[in-house]
Amino acid sequence: MNFRYSVCLLLVSCRLSLPAQGQGTPKGGSDSSPGVVAKVPSGVILVKGAWSSASDSVTPLPERGVVDHGVFRDPYFGIRYALPPDWTEKYRGPPPSENGRYVLAELAPADTFKGAVRGSVLITAQDMFFSLTPTNNAVELINYMKNHLQSDYTTETPPKQLKIADRSFAFFSYWSPAAELHWYVLATDIRCHVVQIVLTSRDMKLLDSLLVDLNKMKLPAEASPTGGTGGGAVPVCIQDYAQAENMIARAEPVFTDRKFNPVPVRIIIGKDGKVKHVHFISAFPDQTKAISDALARWKFKPYRRDGQGLEVETGLQFGRPNARDPANDERRGSPPRN
Amino acid sequence: MNVPKSTQLLGMPVGLSLVVLCSLAQSPAPTTSAGGGGPSSGATDPGVQIASRGTGGSIITTDPGGYQAFFLDGQKRFQAVESVSHSPTGNNGLGPRFNSNSCVSCHAQPAVGGSGPAVNPQFPFTNNGVAPGDRTPFFITANGPTREARFPFFFDQFGGVNTSAPNGGVEDLFTVTGRPDAGTCRLQQPDFFQAQQANNLIFRIPTPIFGAGLIENLDDSTLLSNQAALENNSFGIDGSFNHNGNDGTITRFGWKAQNKSLHIFTGEAYNVEMGISNMLFPQDRPSPEEEQARGLPASCLNLTGTGYPEDASNPTSTPNAAVLDDVSAFANFMRFLAPPPPGPVVLNGQPVSAQSIANGKQIFSSIGCATCHVQSPGTTQVSNMVPALSKAPVNAFSDLEIHHMGAGLADNVSQGGAGGDQFRTAPLWGLGQRIFLLHDGHTTNLMQAIQEHGSQGSEANQVENNFDNLQTSQQQDLLNFLRSL
Repeated sequence: MNFRYSVCLLLVSCRLSLPAQGQGTPKGGSDSSPGVVAKVPSGVILVKGAWSSASDSVTPLPERGVVDHGVFRDPYFGIRYALPPDWTEKYRGPPPSENGRYVLAELAPADTFKGAVRGSVLITAQDMFFSLTPTNNAVELINYMKNHLQSDYTTETPPKQLKIADRSFAFFSYWSPAAELHWYVLATDIRCHVVQIVLTSRDMKLLDSLLVDLNKMKLPAEASPTGGTGGGAVPVCIQDYAQAENMIARAEPVFTDRKFNPVPVRIIIGKDGKVKHVHFISAFPDQTKAISDALARWKFKPYRRDGQGLEVETGLQFGRPNARDPANDERRGSPPRN
Repeated sequence: MNVPKSTQLLGMPVGLSLVVLCSLAQSPAPTTSAGGGGPSSGATDPGVQIASRGTGGSIITTDPGGYQAFFLDGQKRFQAVESVSHSPTGNNGLGPRFNSNSCVSCHAQPAVGGSGPAVNPQFPFTNNGVAPGDRTPFFITANGPTREARFPFFFDQFGGVNTSAPNGGVEDLFTVTGRPDAGTCRLQQPDFFQAQQANNLIFRIPTPIFGAGLIENLDDSTLLSNQAALENNSFGIDGSFNHNGNDGTITRFGWKAQNKSLHIFTGEAYNVEMGISNMLFPQDRPSPEEEQARGLPASCLNLTGTGYPEDASNPTSTPNAAVLDDVSAFANFMRFLAPPPPGPVVLNGQPVSAQSIANGKQIFSSIGCATCHVQSPGTTQVSNMVPALSKAPVNAFSDLEIHHMGAGLADNVSQGGAGGDQFRTAPLWGLGQRIFLLHDGHTTNLMQAIQEHGSQGSEANQVENNFDNLQTSQQQDLLNFLRSL
């Protein structure tokens, strides 16, 4: 830049409010009006990174729970929860994470809510096939949370078992003296996930009231914390089922483009040993295609229990291995859960 | 450019130094500019803190290897003003497309290496000879954010947006057309008005680079451990990392954590933002549309007349630092640039108490902000350069992960593994003196920036809800804390 440019820059820069040339209606040149054009829709995420998808649109998925007419329903987990009056889900949560974490519902009083006391209900699920936390079930997870509570918080109720809607929940509560917020954390095992319900408010009376309200929830039968009978809509879930002793044929997917992200996948194996359904929890489209092509060639020994053939749900990890620290993995060496 | 700077630039160029002074003098009433809180809150953003905190110095305290000379040389080159050709200082290579003509013009607030200044240096370019053949894009204003623009999608042949053809590349705002040092090169600016009408226009603002050497020197294992430690939270948050497509390691610089190292980061910026080819990006950069067609016209190539890359090393120069190419010099400057010190806060002309800031820090952590904006994701690996980069905490208030920020903040641009709504957790160190907020700089109000963390599909919804459930005094403490950073 020569000195002439420098002086111009100085003079223009020091003006407080110079009208911007080119602002307003553009005149000719490169800013000419294009006329009517198709518009990119607002508030829509069109360019996605790793995302969830499935091999069909019929089989229930964890992330497909919805709030409708004041009721949260998640057919995959068999949850039905009527929201308190004037509560709503303002925003949906994020897509499932690459570690198998789901935000199922984020519930809070609507903007029209007139009450003085506010709070929230967060319902999440952690696929225990892919968790980074060295825990196996709801009880262990709650204990882990309590034992790793950050110094900002104080435990109010140590971990204990509660019966909610005829189902066992692990429970503990804590609070933040600085924020004056209280958290009630409940967790239960459904289909090899830990489903967590987190109640948050500055008012413990509200939390107690929400806790009582949870008894009105509809939940799947207590007798099947890791799945159903293997028939009908709910298969048996089994950790590490895709092992050599259970497999007849297997082909590995070849990732050509993206290959360094974890790609957690849940599959349902039919009674005939073929892969019946694939849930890509977090994958890029090219990875989805590669895995689909490979799984079409997989064949398992049909799973049988008490002489009866059953459908099996299990987890597969493609791409980058799960980052869980093996040294802390108490699950290693433990027998498959079924 | 191919001329050693340290022997030619004796100080900040006259024009630039005056611009910076003007910028500081005209900061729009920084302690009161941010206005009040959100609709449900009486809390007030204390605004930009103007008292000097000593930001912008070197991190080097002991220097057995002689790196301080590299820092100072890089700092000087960072402030050089570039021409297309025939510059008496040898600072050539600008364009043919560019967003600005100097690193410091965009990285100026509150010191060299920061973010966009209060007075937009891009605004006068069409009138002061920098881009005489261009029109000022409508979104570049005198006191608005310094910006780059992108079109998330390519247009089709009929002028409609083809949402099945993602673009996302930087559309440089200016060209060298009409400059006396640019020969016969004639280029058109991108049609920003058309893009706006089609809702196909997004912006980014400069990321500050203070403390960048500490971030660069974090081992992947440290970041992965931090991720695992914070995964089981009560806020529904679970981010991921962006990865280098070649070796799979974690990348960490840029709004979407798309760049692995400071060399890559600055090499790309030199090429994309200023149009200067270098040893990492050795060609002049066409617009994304030109790249889809036939590239740049011949009349716009090799405008310096010296060949490529325009920025190369200088083997015969002295002293040692002068041998380096600009990109290496910039990277050294950024690498040794100290993190921004925290400082006291003034709200409505009155000093904020230390107790309020301490409360705010605890609240910030308690309600979940620190799940992503973790004070330090860990300590750095041993440095082979200077002791100050070794085994040091990185108080960036960032996990350096990418998180889904929802439809409200999504820009529909993918970079590396980051999708259209995923952004790196923005480091918050230096926030107290930052003017423009969020990736596109569309607000100067911290309260608004916090509330916009909540939207359809955002990982931050629950945390934002917790923030809304705080009392006004608690929100005020939190805002005070943020402006202390």
